[in-house]
Amino acid sequence: MWTILLIIHGLLAVALLGAITHQVLNAWLPAPKPATTFEQRFRAVHGGGYVNAIIVLYILSFIAGAIIYPEYRVSIRVVVEQMEAWAENGAFELKEHFAAVGMAMLPAYWYYWHQPGAEHHGTRKAITAILAFVVWWNFLTGHILNNIRGFGA
Amino acid sequence: MKTSRSFEIFAIVFAVVFALVYVVAVEQNYALFTYHPITYSLGWGVQAPADGPAMYWFGWMATAALTGGVSALVACRLPLGLTRFLRPALAWLVPLGVLLAFGYMLSSFFLR
Repeated sequence: MWTILLIIHGLLAVALLGAITHQVLNAWLPAPKPATTFEQRFRAVHGGGYVNAIIVLYILSFIAGAIIYPEYRVSIRVVVEQMEAWAENGAFELKEHFAAVGMAMLPAYWYYWHQPGAEHHGTRKAITAILAFVVWWNFLTGHILNNIRGFGA
Repeated sequence: MKTSRSFEIFAIVFAVVFALVYVVAVEQNYALFTYHPITYSLGWGVQAPADGPAMYWFGWMATAALTGGVSALVACRLPLGLTRFLRPALAWLVPLGVLLAFGYMLSSFFLR
């Protein structure tokens, strides 16, 4: 069951990672019109259209991670400590705190992306960049720890 | 879609108070409850490990969410003049500062 939950957590995280990467690049580096290259088309999304999906994916990914976390605490972290993999252990400690603080920013994220005009463009960019950093950090940390002690370990 | 100023106040105050209370809760271990993953049991407040590790993360988040939620709801009810100092930048500057604080607090993991 833990493996299934871990895979679901990972799939949700992949979707979230893709969505927020599109959005943050669109917010910081809007593509020229018309977008012609792959890289320009990657940035040429309607950032506001991603907001609700990102919030739902963040919450679902967070819930899945929270369900798995006790199993990690009991079965995985002990091994990581025994391996003296301190950086990986520390990265996971940061992951849990970053996820919690990111969750607290979601109401503001939702609000400022629903304000029309350029007045709050800077706030939108900053909040989205922080959330993108949190999502990338948490994804990579989870991926590394899964490689250390994941499926079939 | 134009949403109300009161929701903006809620969102700013929640982000700020949650982040600040969360970092204090982690540092001082102010967990609203403790989870014991071996026995699948919950206990109020901070409890010592018993039959395996004790998990405080859920309790830290509950402490921060409760404090942040109540503070945000109270702030929404205040006259607009009293909340004029709540600038949108607070909604990301304070959480960013807390993320950096955690990086500093946990830097020993990366410096061994």
